[in-house]
Amino acid sequence: MTAIPETVGRSSGRLDGEAKITGRFEYGVDAARPGMLWARLARSTQPHARIVSIDTSAALAVPGVYAVLTGADTEGFVGSRYVRDEPILATGTVRYAGEPIAAVAADTEEAAEEACRAIVVEYESLPVVESVDDALAEDAPIIHPEWESYWVSPIINRPGGNVVSHATLRRGDVDAVFATADRVFEDTYEVPLVHQASLEGRVAIAEVDDDGKVHVWSSHQYPWGLRQDISDILHIPLDDVRVTVTGVGGGFGGKLYAGVEPYCIVLALATGRPVKLRLTREEELTATSPRMGATVHLRTAVASDGTFLAREGRLDYDSGAYAESSPGVVSVGLMTLPGPYRWQALAVDARAIYTNKAGCGSYRGPGAPQAVFAGESQVDRIAREMGIDPLQLRLHNAVRDGDQGPTGQVLEGVSLVETLHAAADKIGWDSAGAGEGRGRGLSCTWWTTTGLPSSADLRLGEDGSLVLVTGATEIGTGAVMAGVAQICAGELGVDPGDLTIESADTETTPYDFGAQGSRTMVAAGNAAIAAASDLKDQMFDLAAAKLGCSPDDLELADGEVRDRDDPDAVLTLADVARLAGTGNGLVGSGTYEQPGTPFDTDSVVGAMIGAFNIPSFATHACEVSVDLATGEVSLDRYVIAQDVGKVVNPRYCEGQLTGGAVQGIGQAMFEEIVYRDGHVQNPNFTDYKLPTMADLPPIEAVMVEVPSASGPYGAKGVGEQGVIGPPPAIANAVRDATGRAIRRLPITAERVWAALRGEES
Amino acid sequence: MLELEFTVNGSPRKIESEARLTLLEILRETFMLTGAKEACGVGECGNCMVLIDGVATPSCLVLAGDAGGTAIETIEGLASDGELDPVQRAFVDAGAFQCGFCTPGMVMTAKAFLRDNPDPEPEAVKQALSGVLCRCGTYSRIMRAIDQLTGRGI
Repeated sequence: MTAIPETVGRSSGRLDGEAKITGRFEYGVDAARPGMLWARLARSTQPHARIVSIDTSAALAVPGVYAVLTGADTEGFVGSRYVRDEPILATGTVRYAGEPIAAVAADTEEAAEEACRAIVVEYESLPVVESVDDALAEDAPIIHPEWESYWVSPIINRPGGNVVSHATLRRGDVDAVFATADRVFEDTYEVPLVHQASLEGRVAIAEVDDDGKVHVWSSHQYPWGLRQDISDILHIPLDDVRVTVTGVGGGFGGKLYAGVEPYCIVLALATGRPVKLRLTREEELTATSPRMGATVHLRTAVASDGTFLAREGRLDYDSGAYAESSPGVVSVGLMTLPGPYRWQALAVDARAIYTNKAGCGSYRGPGAPQAVFAGESQVDRIAREMGIDPLQLRLHNAVRDGDQGPTGQVLEGVSLVETLHAAADKIGWDSAGAGEGRGRGLSCTWWTTTGLPSSADLRLGEDGSLVLVTGATEIGTGAVMAGVAQICAGELGVDPGDLTIESADTETTPYDFGAQGSRTMVAAGNAAIAAASDLKDQMFDLAAAKLGCSPDDLELADGEVRDRDDPDAVLTLADVARLAGTGNGLVGSGTYEQPGTPFDTDSVVGAMIGAFNIPSFATHACEVSVDLATGEVSLDRYVIAQDVGKVVNPRYCEGQLTGGAVQGIGQAMFEEIVYRDGHVQNPNFTDYKLPTMADLPPIEAVMVEVPSASGPYGAKGVGEQGVIGPPPAIANAVRDATGRAIRRLPITAERVWAALRGEES
Repeated sequence: MLELEFTVNGSPRKIESEARLTLLEILRETFMLTGAKEACGVGECGNCMVLIDGVATPSCLVLAGDAGGTAIETIEGLASDGELDPVQRAFVDAGAFQCGFCTPGMVMTAKAFLRDNPDPEPEAVKQALSGVLCRCGTYSRIMRAIDQLTGRGI
């Protein structure tokens, strides 16, 4: 690990801060191209049906319409990154209400919308599969009868029928260990679909040049993934696709895959004009890759002293009508259902299951909140029924350094105990009981820092200017525009404000694996350190030759290269850049790729994720009061203590913890996409309720620092973990307040009221 | 077509508008003031808040014709001579935004509220700003920004 520079650990501003606070920052919705047309999509009104006929003649007659495309025009253009099962426009069958049937380009959005309404579709209804239970019934309609013919990426295990994928974890002899247990606890938990609800929805523009090259501007988290998706779906050579990321008004995992872009491209190809498509809020909430719901069956074997022995679980995730990211997400259930505890044996089955809902995707901490709501709620039940303090039970079973994770990875930099103590101290766990109708709850989580490569170029111009060119995408977290900027500037001995950052364009910036998996500041930060080191080596060689000293005598500080032993031997950055004689200054380059974490590969089958890289740990603690007459829950205090390894920017690091917690509180208390007969009942922000300022106490964050071996200065990924812990922490507090377990989210007043009357939640 | 006159960020403006257009559409597409954002289009999210004669109003709910003759303030008009408004400064210093999409609506709502309530109780601040959704969940930091402005500090 290199020395920690002065810029690291400070709450300095973000490089995009001024543009954002003045309204000048350009998001995807603000972008435009000359001659641009507007697109709209006509969508299925049926959750499951055969398309008998589509008549587009009236749509084509709408003034201002340039193109109306249906599935017949896009035959063979099929999406879903891991199981190619999702035609961009339905062909023959629609599998959820809201599925795109036709794409229209017109002069105005209004004309495109009018044309969509003029399309006449005749359907023949099919039976609707409304839930995973429906889907698994013996006589269930098979949603994808031709599933065996689909292209599928390696690793994924597909048993067939309505099961998209099935991942398993087996460690030790579960039956034998259960036989030795003093107590066995068994519960079923249920978690509904929830939505990322980024306030900027999905939006893109596509333009095709005279050579047939496609340029896409998109509000996206992962430009290289999008480029690959576009190439795969539309059969366009990879190098003929360029993706430029616009400003991103929230992503949270919802902008990691191809979404609106293929429609823009096929319409741009059909019309020869740039085409823009932005989705409405209703489209977002009915038809764009929400977090999967899940039913979780969980059994845990415990010794008489509270020692956890074995855990057996089945996670049935509701993938909706298409695979999208579910085959990857289910493997996260294997990692998170056991929780950060020591076990003698584990058996977890995680399946993604087709239903007639919108195809589900990735949302911050994908796969984890469902598993952890079950796991941590049951830990609380175990504590209470065995008469053990929930904090002490967790401390007793917590993983420590050198322990093995659920798939046998050796855990390093383990900080669960530190976070437990930090959260308990902050909330005052040991103080007197909270009183009538009041309760406290805890939950523990662990999470990964996703690896894979990130590269950076660092340009020193002849005017002394410094430009960091990174493939990493700033989606709002501050990981790039604060964290990476501080890291890079620190390595160069300059102020972050002296840097300019260019990012996230597949043609003009080097590769990065995307703003996903809590990886950006760690991966792009390490790449920036490598690029800075390369640039410094070049600068010192040139400067040493000029000054007649050794490169080892030189240092870089305050925007100067100087000889430590000779105060007169000083060159400015511009001087050094000109010494290169290139006419264009110097470029340092660096790449970082976190080595994969070894694990017991025999322990898992069908798992796309088998270990958590640079794992981090967290504890949530909260205090609630429950109105025992109405069941209304008021969240009075909320504490999140999370290990961040090393704080690079306290302001924005804390923002990730508290922001994640706010979204998790939403999932715990308010949020659910409600389906009835295959139709979303609440596709708006009145009925799909996001947390507002009035709903929340101040979120109290404790940033625990247990350094990692490979993150910049010991940093660990911070972005996602905060969203995972709130549902069980709040459910456990409600149980403490009322004596009633809530086993289904969200924890609404109605559900608590029913529980208070002894009805099953 | 309607002939409309407004004052937009202190400057008089005269335009012709289709009667069906909203103030938000006029601001974004005619005046190219794209700071105000549409995230729902039906007055649920507050991301399009601007001040009409000093009152914070979701501009997606106002027909442009109904705003004729008023003085409109948007985020683009807050900073003057390159100096951020104190509310903007406080939001920057407190780290009160991440993706920034809701920020123009949040800042304008806070601006109007603090003009009328220079020394508000925290609960009143919460109520006043609860009409603006922030999905990044920066609410604690927004509260810190307001506390800086009102001298309550933290």
